[in-house]
Amino acid sequence: MNKIRNFCIIAHIDHGKSTLADRLLERTGTITQREAKDQILDNMDLERERGITIKSHAIQMEYKAKDGEIYTLNLIDTPGHVDFTYEVSRSLAACEGAVLVVDASQGVEAQTISNLYLAIDAGLEIIPVLNKIDLPGAEPERIKAQVVDLLGCKPEDVIPASAKANLGIDEILEAVIERVPPPKGDPDKPLQALIFDSVFDPYRGAIAYIRVFNGKIREKDKIRFFAHDKIQEAEEIGILRLLKTKTKELEAGNVGYLISGIKDVHETKVGDTITHFKNGAEERLPGYKEVKPMVYSGLYPTNTEDFEDLRDALDKYRLNDSSLVYEPETSAALGFGFRCGFLGLLHMEIVQERLFREFQQAIITTLPNVEYVVTKKNGDKIIVDNPDHMPSPGDIDYVEEPFVKAQIVAPSEYIGNIMKLAMDKRGSFKNQVYIDETRADLSYEFPLAEIIFDFYDKLKSISRGYASFDYEFIGLREADLVKLDILLNGEPVDALSMIVHRTKAYDWGKKVSEKLKELIPRQLFEINIQAAIGTKVIAKSVVKAMRKNVIAKCYGGDISRKRKLLEKQKEGKKRMKQVGNVEIPQEAFLAVLQIED
Amino acid sequence: MNEAGIYIHIPFCDHKCIYCDFYSIIKFDSVKAFFSSIKEEIMHYSEKFGNEREYKTIFFGGGTPSLSEPSDLADLINLIKQNFNLVPDAEITMETNPGTVDLSKLCNFKEAGINRVSIGIQSFDEADLKFLTRIHDKNGAIHTVFNAVEAGFENISIDLIFNLPGQTPEKWGRNLEIAGTLPVNHISAYSLILERGTILNKMVLNGEVKIQDEDFDAGLYEQTMQFFRNRGFKQYEVSNYCMPGYECKHNQIYWDCKEYLGFGPSAHSFYNGKRWWNISSLSGYLRAIQKNGGIAIAGEEVLTDEQFKEEYIMLALRSRGIERSKIEGLIDEKQALIDRLFNSGHLTPEGEFIKLTEKGFPVCDEIVTELIS
Repeated sequence: MNKIRNFCIIAHIDHGKSTLADRLLERTGTITQREAKDQILDNMDLERERGITIKSHAIQMEYKAKDGEIYTLNLIDTPGHVDFTYEVSRSLAACEGAVLVVDASQGVEAQTISNLYLAIDAGLEIIPVLNKIDLPGAEPERIKAQVVDLLGCKPEDVIPASAKANLGIDEILEAVIERVPPPKGDPDKPLQALIFDSVFDPYRGAIAYIRVFNGKIREKDKIRFFAHDKIQEAEEIGILRLLKTKTKELEAGNVGYLISGIKDVHETKVGDTITHFKNGAEERLPGYKEVKPMVYSGLYPTNTEDFEDLRDALDKYRLNDSSLVYEPETSAALGFGFRCGFLGLLHMEIVQERLFREFQQAIITTLPNVEYVVTKKNGDKIIVDNPDHMPSPGDIDYVEEPFVKAQIVAPSEYIGNIMKLAMDKRGSFKNQVYIDETRADLSYEFPLAEIIFDFYDKLKSISRGYASFDYEFIGLREADLVKLDILLNGEPVDALSMIVHRTKAYDWGKKVSEKLKELIPRQLFEINIQAAIGTKVIAKSVVKAMRKNVIAKCYGGDISRKRKLLEKQKEGKKRMKQVGNVEIPQEAFLAVLQIED
Repeated sequence: MNEAGIYIHIPFCDHKCIYCDFYSIIKFDSVKAFFSSIKEEIMHYSEKFGNEREYKTIFFGGGTPSLSEPSDLADLINLIKQNFNLVPDAEITMETNPGTVDLSKLCNFKEAGINRVSIGIQSFDEADLKFLTRIHDKNGAIHTVFNAVEAGFENISIDLIFNLPGQTPEKWGRNLEIAGTLPVNHISAYSLILERGTILNKMVLNGEVKIQDEDFDAGLYEQTMQFFRNRGFKQYEVSNYCMPGYECKHNQIYWDCKEYLGFGPSAHSFYNGKRWWNISSLSGYLRAIQKNGGIAIAGEEVLTDEQFKEEYIMLALRSRGIERSKIEGLIDEKQALIDRLFNSGHLTPEGEFIKLTEKGFPVCDEIVTELIS
């Protein structure tokens, strides 16, 4: 166990985490340069494009250190977005150390801080690395001072490096050996293994990535999962090299994989503990949480006939993503679809994108919302995750919405802007602490609904990317919420309804009706757009009837071209949704997300 | 026997107008080769199709066919008469640009067999004409019309364009007034079309020229339709107005989905359910005719039943109206929409036909799209 080091790399987006990982793999001979596809660890296309890691992965390296000993290094990759905070925390829990990568020209940024705090919370030894020191814009001394300030470490602890130019790689590996403590744990105690990630393999079913804390797990062992008490056999265990490598056993301190005949990832939950069926541990490892969706949205096939295809795609996709939940629902405007629950907006975008790329599903999503608890006058409590299901105002006693406690860390010069933003978002200020002379930590409570859309983007833009943000659910609170309906020529469009705070309803009503006026093209007949609370219309706008759409000339040589043009227009119309006599383009269903306030 | 028409594309122009996207060429050194090739093409098709149809029309389009020698057109007309089943009273139209013909040349064209001229006037406003890079002026345009009358043409049409940059309803109204005083029995009035690849389109993209919006264009169009209605003209297509009996029979062949053969570079043909089109460059056309014994086809398509139905709706609605019996199933399926358009006054029933009204013409393509979607 003394020869094992478990660590991760944390960094702000684009600071060079993936390139550094590649260099470590090459330097340790885990992969050759020829084998090294760029950025080995991020193997989903989507991750590569967005430069983020969505699912975490792990890989094992052998390294002969300067002391002449051969060490086993487990590099555990982590996702880097607030939607996946829980997954990050479980990956960190599997490590004893973290390499903190900071771009030598960009400096310390939001994600650097939020991820660093998670790592410190997890008790990890931090190895600060200044990356890209060879670039013309690098300011190693200034950025090093920032890092020293942030960590309270000594300047000589910060390792200058360039993953691209292969500088400092040995120093990083040596630091991992010297500074990261070897795993603690007792191979003779009952088995406790943490699932820090799980992926779905179409041939093998769920593959759990595990870190063994106590005991050992062997092939053919009868094992038990704390989350569901199912007994399974360890069909295959092994370590994670470039490919999975079967082994007979995994001992306390080590990291590897487990295949146990489980079909999908819902029974290999991230954060769950595995032990032996007989003589197992009595307690699970700390930190397990049932991940619950925070954001809901309707997912509808672009072509109504494709509903069954979408269902198949979701069923398959779900095998790989235990945090997605969905149930069929119907919309008068959009036909048959699903109400889906996501961890956050990024998760929602990723699901949508992957359904499109991997399953060729073209989807319309409705405005995302949170889950409300409505107490009716007759005493019934109902959960509303679709605005259209809100009872009529006369039947409602009171409505509760989810609240979160939020930490915002930002340089002090941005505090004024941040406080203004927080006020716009119905935040209530709780506390302010200075971390050092330049950086403050603000505590707020927010309605979740106010921070799911664009809060993070706004926060970043008003703080030039320096503010970091994290939140956790703290409970439900009563609020004066109303359902805002959108009517087109007098017909309500269910998929456009939303739940908003009464004080914001007028403003939203006006903005949404104006936005829709822009997005709905002129048609043969005039379209009246109304925003209403109950029967009361609070805003309206009009799309005037189309006045001209005809090509002036159509003679022998024009006919074929013109027919093709009409066929194109016809295809365009097919993608629109018909509500009453009005054709609504798909982008109108997300109109609200495009509104600037 | 089924009716058909013949189109002949004469690609030569003395210059290229900024709004024009027709295939044209301003060098005259291949005129001779062109006429001999087109004769070869005519002969090739006459062997196959010359007697299968009753040919009702010939249309010389361009380009500027009126730049040609009348004898060259006479040769073509005679060749067609000898080798195609052309009816004795065939409508034989020539597109004519003011400034390319004088009285005696018009007489010679008449002599050659042309019996209808379509004069490309576009505007009577000097500034408009300059902008459009036309070579004639207002007086030249008016003279050409009177010369045509004097040459003995009874069937005279003029072309006008509206929604030109800077045009106001008043300016356009003056154009219409002048047109209304001329001895013509057919007028085509087109809303300016920005065609890709034209100089004008480039100017608009560069921001040099600004085109007025949909509502403005619609206003001018409504003004046009009302003007001609009040003058006793009949609107028989989106952009075409005539005194009763003076419809362009050749163009009606297109709108009635009937058959036509097109000769010359870029010409389209539609025959036996198949559409084909010729190579558009003159040199390519000439080479192909030589090499392939009278054939210069660049591409072809065979319409599916659905495509044919779409074309029928698209063409019939902009002209004669849709005949109920031809789209029975569709009428049932779209009954609610059609009723709504009857009630709103976009459509009107006329015997067995469903026709556009003055309110319907400006949104013709939208209605077609709704009907075929």
